[in-house]
Amino acid sequence: MLSRTASLVARKVVPRASFAARAFSSEATADATSVTLNLSVPYESIYNGAAVEQVIIPGTEGEYGITVNHVPYVAQMKPGVLQVLFEGAEPEKYFVAGGYAVTHANSVTDVVCVEAVKLDDIDPSAVQSNYDAAKSAAGAAASGSVEEAEAMIDMEVNKAMGLAVGLTLA
Amino acid sequence: MTAPATSFWRIAGMTYLQYANRAAGSVRAGLKEPLKSKLAAQGQFSYKVSSWTNGEQSPKIEIDTLDKAGKAV
Repeated sequence: MLSRTASLVARKVVPRASFAARAFSSEATADATSVTLNLSVPYESIYNGAAVEQVIIPGTEGEYGITVNHVPYVAQMKPGVLQVLFEGAEPEKYFVAGGYAVTHANSVTDVVCVEAVKLDDIDPSAVQSNYDAAKSAAGAAASGSVEEAEAMIDMEVNKAMGLAVGLTLA
Repeated sequence: MTAPATSFWRIAGMTYLQYANRAAGSVRAGLKEPLKSKLAAQGQFSYKVSSWTNGEQSPKIEIDTLDKAGKAV
């Protein structure tokens, strides 16, 4: 995967050569010109080795973008919008329910989530009614109970889905 | 040190898998048809377990939630 000459010619990547040598995937080289994206849900591989310009990931610690030659990074995702940017094309937007994103040293980024759907498939009226139902369930549940936590998860997810389709929920 | 150093669902005793599956189910519930019905089955599963003691098999228990899976055997 990583030839010795490639690491010598590459400008900025020289210090990362040792990281690249122990990366798992062999699809990209150290002087990659694009991000290699693998986006998977349990029942489908949405992108497998796709060459993309940038991936914007909703991390629990904040949203961040992955471009070529990004430093290796692991992040847990929050429910939110994941954007896949192609050169000279409209970004593809997916709503992810959470999961993990791993960026390897050779610009390969693996995104694994339990559910990922296109924004066009979100039904704003269902989101609104699910949010209202979750809010009243959270109010009715005993403080600190699992039922309350489940209702709060539903609220959090529906709020993020609402935000993604331009719906403000309170 | 007032704010807890972990998430609310962890404090309530949920595991990450339970949290992730709940969130995924919540996403599926807010979709348009026909995708909604297509993905509806993704969150469901069921199987039966039983344990063996001294060559005797215990009655089979049906597991259809993550909560039961953790407590069955």
